[in-house]
Amino acid sequence: MKKTSLFAAVLFALSTPAFAQSPNDAQIASIVVTANQVDIDAGKLAATKAADPEVKKFANLMVADHTGVNKQAVALVTKLKVKPEDNDTSKSLKAGGDKNLADLKGLSGAAFDKAYIDHEVAYHQAVLDAVDKTLIPSASNAELKALLVKVRPAFVSHLEHAKHVQSTLK
Amino acid sequence: MRSLALMVLAGLLVSSTGEEARSLAARAAARPATVAVAIEGMKFAPATVTVKPGDTVVWTNKDIVAHTVTEKAGTFDSKIIPPGGTFKYVARKKGSFAYLCSLHQPMTGGVNVQ
Repeated sequence: MKKTSLFAAVLFALSTPAFAQSPNDAQIASIVVTANQVDIDAGKLAATKAADPEVKKFANLMVADHTGVNKQAVALVTKLKVKPEDNDTSKSLKAGGDKNLADLKGLSGAAFDKAYIDHEVAYHQAVLDAVDKTLIPSASNAELKALLVKVRPAFVSHLEHAKHVQSTLK
Repeated sequence: MRSLALMVLAGLLVSSTGEEARSLAARAAARPATVAVAIEGMKFAPATVTVKPGDTVVWTNKDIVAHTVTEKAGTFDSKIIPPGGTFKYVARKKGSFAYLCSLHQPMTGGVNVQ
């Protein structure tokens, strides 16, 4: 039940009514950079607070991988001279990320690990849905679209990894 | 007399050139090969390669994230290969070597040296 509502909250952030019409490339750039940054911030916290070594390892991987993705995303938007444009989706992603950090900071030990991993599972699922249903179909620049397509398998791998870790936590 | 000497010399040259050609051909047949493996879309492609001792396997990371090529028993380990980076392994020992990406563990591959 809790997991479902968490998923719904993240999904809501990624499918707000602003995108009854499709986001433009500048908005997509902002969504991509924010989505990665939110996961980097959560990963950094978990890398220091996680109790379970597999959770810690996953957190370090999230920091490394999403930092890498953001580096390439920023390089591309700089090259394309696209200025990332804040929008309702990127704002609610940021707000959701901040709330998650605040929640996690109040937890420790096994409760922290479970909350962090549950959120990671829901978050990656929601981001993947957004990549598939909104971001890739809406991207008009071919290189931006190609970057999203290229990033996708990493997010799938992270989701599977998070689910695996989740299944090992009591 | 002088022409005979020249003929002998010419004969020697021809025979030595023939020798050289044969040994070059033999060396070409045994020349170590280089086999490429792409790391792309969170997969090793091809997942399994078969090489001869002395051949080189070169992995190129075409992904957006870092990976490793880590043999399960420790025979070889690339450590971190950044996006765009490569790792070379010269296959010396015969056998079947299973490897994985130590970061993204569902990623697996194999090198058969025979």
